[in-house]
Amino acid sequence: MSAVLDVVLSSAFLAAVLRVSTPYLLAAFGGLVAERAGVSNIALEGQMLSAACTGALVAGYSGSVALGALCGVGVATLLGLLLAALRLELGADVIIAGIGLNLLASGGTAYAVFTLLDDKGGTSGLKSGSLPAVPLPGIDSIPLLGDVISGQNMVTWLAFLTAPVIAWLFYRARFGFHLRAVGEMPDAAASVGIPVRRVQYTGLALSGALAGLAGVFLSMGYVSFFVRDMTAGRGFIALAAVFLGGLRPWGVFLAALGFGAAEALAVQLGTLDVPPQLVSTIPYAMTLVALAVYAWRRRRQAGVEVAASV
Amino acid sequence: MTGTLVETEDRRQYKATRRRGLTVDLSMTLATILAALAIGFLVMLLTGNDPVGAYEAMLTGPLERSFRVGRWLEDATTLTLLGLSVAIPFRARQISLGAESQLYAGALAAAAVAVFLPLPPVVAVIVPLVAAAAAGAGMGLVPGAMKARLGANEIVATLMLNAIVVRVYDYLVNGPLKEPGSSAVHSKSIQQDSALTPLSDWFGIPLGRANVGLLLMVFTAVALWLLITRTPLGYRIRMTGSNPEFAEYGGIRVPRVIEWSFVIGGAVAGLAGAHLVQGVYGRLEPGLAGSLAFEGIVVALLARNNPLVVVVAGLFYSYLRAGGDIMEQQTDVGTEIVVVIQAVIVLLVTAQALPDLLKRRLARREVAGR
Amino acid sequence: MHKAWERSGPAIGARAVTKTYGNGVRAVRGVDLDVPVGEIRAIVGENGAGKSTLMKMFYGLEQPSSGEVLVGGRPRVLGGPASAIGLGVGMVHQNLMLVPSFTVAQNVVLGVEPGRRGRVDLKAAAETTARLAEESGLAVDPNARVDEVSVGMRQRTEILKVLHRGARVLILDEPTAVLTPQETEDLFAAVRRLRDGGMTVLFISHKLREVREISDRVSVMRAGSLVGTVDTSDATERSLAAMMVGRDLSLDVDRAPARRTGVALQVRDVQYAAPTGQSLDGIGFDVAAGEIVGLAGIEGNGQTELAEILAGLRRPTSGAIRVGGTGTAGLDVAGHRRAGIGYVPEDRLRNGAALDESIADNLVVDRHDRAPLARRGLLRPRAVRAHAEQLIEDYAIRTPDASVPVRALSGGNMQKVIVARELSAAPRLLIASQVTRGVDIGAMRFMYERLGAARDAGAGVLLISADLTELLALADRLLVIKDGRLVARFDDTSGLTEKRVGLYMLGVERHDHDHITTGLEEVDAV
Repeated sequence: MSAVLDVVLSSAFLAAVLRVSTPYLLAAFGGLVAERAGVSNIALEGQMLSAACTGALVAGYSGSVALGALCGVGVATLLGLLLAALRLELGADVIIAGIGLNLLASGGTAYAVFTLLDDKGGTSGLKSGSLPAVPLPGIDSIPLLGDVISGQNMVTWLAFLTAPVIAWLFYRARFGFHLRAVGEMPDAAASVGIPVRRVQYTGLALSGALAGLAGVFLSMGYVSFFVRDMTAGRGFIALAAVFLGGLRPWGVFLAALGFGAAEALAVQLGTLDVPPQLVSTIPYAMTLVALAVYAWRRRRQAGVEVAASV
Repeated sequence: MTGTLVETEDRRQYKATRRRGLTVDLSMTLATILAALAIGFLVMLLTGNDPVGAYEAMLTGPLERSFRVGRWLEDATTLTLLGLSVAIPFRARQISLGAESQLYAGALAAAAVAVFLPLPPVVAVIVPLVAAAAAGAGMGLVPGAMKARLGANEIVATLMLNAIVVRVYDYLVNGPLKEPGSSAVHSKSIQQDSALTPLSDWFGIPLGRANVGLLLMVFTAVALWLLITRTPLGYRIRMTGSNPEFAEYGGIRVPRVIEWSFVIGGAVAGLAGAHLVQGVYGRLEPGLAGSLAFEGIVVALLARNNPLVVVVAGLFYSYLRAGGDIMEQQTDVGTEIVVVIQAVIVLLVTAQALPDLLKRRLARREVAGR
Repeated sequence: MHKAWERSGPAIGARAVTKTYGNGVRAVRGVDLDVPVGEIRAIVGENGAGKSTLMKMFYGLEQPSSGEVLVGGRPRVLGGPASAIGLGVGMVHQNLMLVPSFTVAQNVVLGVEPGRRGRVDLKAAAETTARLAEESGLAVDPNARVDEVSVGMRQRTEILKVLHRGARVLILDEPTAVLTPQETEDLFAAVRRLRDGGMTVLFISHKLREVREISDRVSVMRAGSLVGTVDTSDATERSLAAMMVGRDLSLDVDRAPARRTGVALQVRDVQYAAPTGQSLDGIGFDVAAGEIVGLAGIEGNGQTELAEILAGLRRPTSGAIRVGGTGTAGLDVAGHRRAGIGYVPEDRLRNGAALDESIADNLVVDRHDRAPLARRGLLRPRAVRAHAEQLIEDYAIRTPDASVPVRALSGGNMQKVIVARELSAAPRLLIASQVTRGVDIGAMRFMYERLGAARDAGAGVLLISADLTELLALADRLLVIKDGRLVARFDDTSGLTEKRVGLYMLGVERHDHDHITTGLEEVDAV
């Protein structure tokens, strides 16, 4: 047990938590924005994957890391808009459309990499560089704190900054105001002249962009290459964080951080005798229990009437 | 079917209209597939590949050698079972994404029996299959009961279960169930008697790893079709999916029906896991299912959740997958283009307004042509 | 004064306005209306009299087919709510349009938020709301979440929302339906104050007592036309009811007197606390086998709740219900059906049918697991088909085939499918709710015949309808429900007129409790 404690309290572990949480945070905020706009974004996974792949490829061929990151985020934004269009213009089932986009991303990225580089695995043959880390002169000499926060990647900083920004956007900005109204009561929003569709398109674009940033971090944060299916289900986990966090910015923040911490812990414990796979199931099991408890409480509040509401 | 008022009372005329409607539906499906193939064609062209050669390899390749046929049928068996497993909850309008967890639960149960429990022949095949179905059903019951009794979102529940079970499976294959002394990660092989008989043994030609699981799959599809169309439970599933408030009004216990749909789907996904263990690999391998679970959803969707059509869609899909592999060997085009084509099919199928738009235009032209 | 308004002329009005819907229904017929500035005008009428449609045209939600709408003294084309709001017309809908998780102040300013450069100044929003509330006398807590405040405060929030947009005309659509008496009084005080400040108010209501209390003048609509406008001081509840309900004659239908052969349904002291909608209070009545009991009342007074309780779709809070001697407490829906209840629901599109399924499948939902349709756990498609073909013939359902999806049928045919299913189960008690709504004349007559035949065959029928003509023509006895209580009981409907029943429906008169419960036997709770 003390060995576990040693791991958890080490600065290397805390730094790893921040690093590992980054994609979860960004993608979860992406999911949150879409959910609050009234359109579930199941395609987070595909948006991350497309951005990761595009980022690495563009950076590799153009030699510009910034351009790569920008294009990655751009592609994910377009996928967000495509999801919105499928839902709002063509009446598609938003879940199935999301699954379709995920498939498209999975096949499309692998196809692109193989066509361009003749490599099944990823873009490790391409020199694409990575986004810069941010050293904090002064702070890095402070024991523990310096080791934890100095030298984190710029995207990690962005991810942690996203939390207050989203919270501000939701509760202080006109756009967030309209977004929440549209997602919660589209009729009420429309009756006071808010352009419901435009707000939803914007929300889904923002959602895609955030997922894209998460994807770019995966392929250009600590590594400098794209690996086939490198998102490995993070988009879905982020979605779970959205629900576990009760659709509130700080709740989602904590949930995503929890998932990140559990994954970091699983990696760290790999060196000890605890099977890392089992440790990493903890957040999912917690989510499952939370989901059940939450649903049970809601049902009890609503009375017995809703038995048939499926 | 058509959304318009049926004006006529003439039965013959109605049947003709209906036949025409079916023809339109069928041609819509074909058109969707062709459109997706055309988009694949364009993508290959734009990425500097030779689409004609690629499609030739993809579409004729799987039939050229008997073991390729075997590869196709073996893949189709798993994929179709997975498609069937989601088609049932989909019929009850439950979006279950849990085939993955159910498959792994089934695979573990089948392997546990088939590796460790010595049984007489025939029984040695059947007991693991039953164990797998039961394990899959149990895994389906969890999100099913959560949805039916608590109203918990089944999408999130099934995704979480997938994440948990995949990790537990990974742990077991890498840990307690790993074959001792082997450098590669996999379990001990199953006992000879538990293996699903390879089709090669029957036909005397090499058919790869294709096995009697194929028949099991066809049998399952027919059984599910009978369940849906010929049993009271199937009727309840259909009504619940069509209009749950009507079902409740009619005295159907909707939560019960929802649970059953998950349990049945889970059992079938469990069988898919057993097929992989007893028929294809003969042991537990890491990442046994690949992306098949999600592709099963696509198959069910394409078949509009009709069990018999799922077989056709599964065979078609696996054919594309098998063809994609051959295409990659023979040309420079990556097999992943197949996934892109699949994705386009999904997006076209779910864009409901699209066919309606076309249908309306067709109808207008028909009126104008008279 | 609003900048786009003329100095004289009505604040809001209509000139020969007619509205014909796409399906040929003429909801409003040649209405002329002038409401001067600073008047509270009540608009009254039965369900379907055209009040709502007229208001929708004033608010830009519908456009007149002919004639013109006047706002601020001039004819206007209102393309949508936005243009109505721009001209100073505001409407408070019956179902409130508020975002539940927002505060009162946030809802008030939604769409026109104060604050610079994309920000929302929540403090200013709360201050504005507080000031508006102060000025108008509509007391609200600006910082409370809407889903945590009373219905009355939600409604005041809606009115403030309209005021915040600078409305000069306020349309209130049945504003008191969900309010307690105290809240109603407060609302009226505020409305009067607004009027005194120059606001014009259109007040839609069924409740004649309230209309008399609040309005300056009353306009009465019936069957799409404006019947007349009177000064409130000259009107009595009785005279208004007479204008609303019309015919003073009873419509006599040739039919034999009921032969009552025992008890089909006993309802005793049923209480029901509704989470949403109308609660029920002390409902008690009998339906005998072989009679049709009509339940009259303005819609939304508890009919739906009562019907669904009887059908087993809701559970009463307390009270006893027996069907042919069997207590229904603890039975599920299927159990209620086994006990002998058939139910034609009021909204057939919601739960009366599975629209995408075949006629044959829709006809067996309550009996699909029993012989002859199912044997040894298997459905018998041939039997299901034969069953459907028999009913299609018996009930003259016009369709080429039993496999046609119900969605493809006309309203009348769809209703025949439902009535065929419910009546062919040979129920002890048939609850028929709005059975002729939206069906053609032929189907309507058919329904009447079938209900009569069912009665003569010994079934008890509880006929719930918004159509008094229908009730008086068919019912052997008549009950009237208002605000979740029975307020009248007529054991003999001969000579009863619509006008007379209307007085009870509108709350002008009521029977005392003893009269309503006369002769009801004691029934044990189980």
